[in-house]
Amino acid sequence: MLQLTRKPGETIVIGDNIRVSVIQIAGGAVRIGIDAPRDVSIYREEIWDAVKSENAAAAAAPQSLPEGLSGGPTSGPAAG
Amino acid sequence: MAALTFTSSRFGTVEVEPDAVIEFPRGLIGLGGSRFALLGEESDAIVWLHSVEDPDLALPVASPWSFFPDYAVDLSDDEAARLGISSPDEARVLVVVRVGETAKECYANLKAPILVAGGQGHQVLNEADAPLRAPLVPEA
Repeated sequence: MLQLTRKPGETIVIGDNIRVSVIQIAGGAVRIGIDAPRDVSIYREEIWDAVKSENAAAAAAPQSLPEGLSGGPTSGPAAG
Repeated sequence: MAALTFTSSRFGTVEVEPDAVIEFPRGLIGLGGSRFALLGEESDAIVWLHSVEDPDLALPVASPWSFFPDYAVDLSDDEAARLGISSPDEARVLVVVRVGETAKECYANLKAPILVAGGQGHQVLNEADAPLRAPLVPEA
């Protein structure tokens, strides 16, 4: 992993469109500011991991859903 | 317009109207995918968000209010701008359901709902305090 040392107020530029700035360091935590294009998603890693894991578990569902929660294809899309 | 036909490993050959396809510019978090359609009946509690490109990629989803009447989505300004909406009320909201063998073992992800607006879908983070895994059916 590339490691760079930066001080509060300094920035790292990634490609042409992403800037990561160190805003403040206090109490063992670093406050970071990120400027990125809208199509770039930014998450805290632990949240991204948790959502990814829930999505993957959901995507492993079998075709038949539990009783009373039926769902499945018809000739058309779900309305609504 | 001609119907769009795609293959599903769960349901075989599936046909949808082309305008039912939802584009996901950023895919689903950690799963990817770019074009999906909703499969199921309006009366179904759970429908399938199915990739029209990957036969294996499909997730059960539900309208959160069918199970959680007080559910609310709080969007960051950045996400709202990305979706081109000013409030979550302007989008159709779906939550991903992790199914188990019985209804009691089913959980909805209220933390990362899917918002659909203008033919585009985005899985977003709900800024409100919401669980990643909420039991679909309350404990008796």
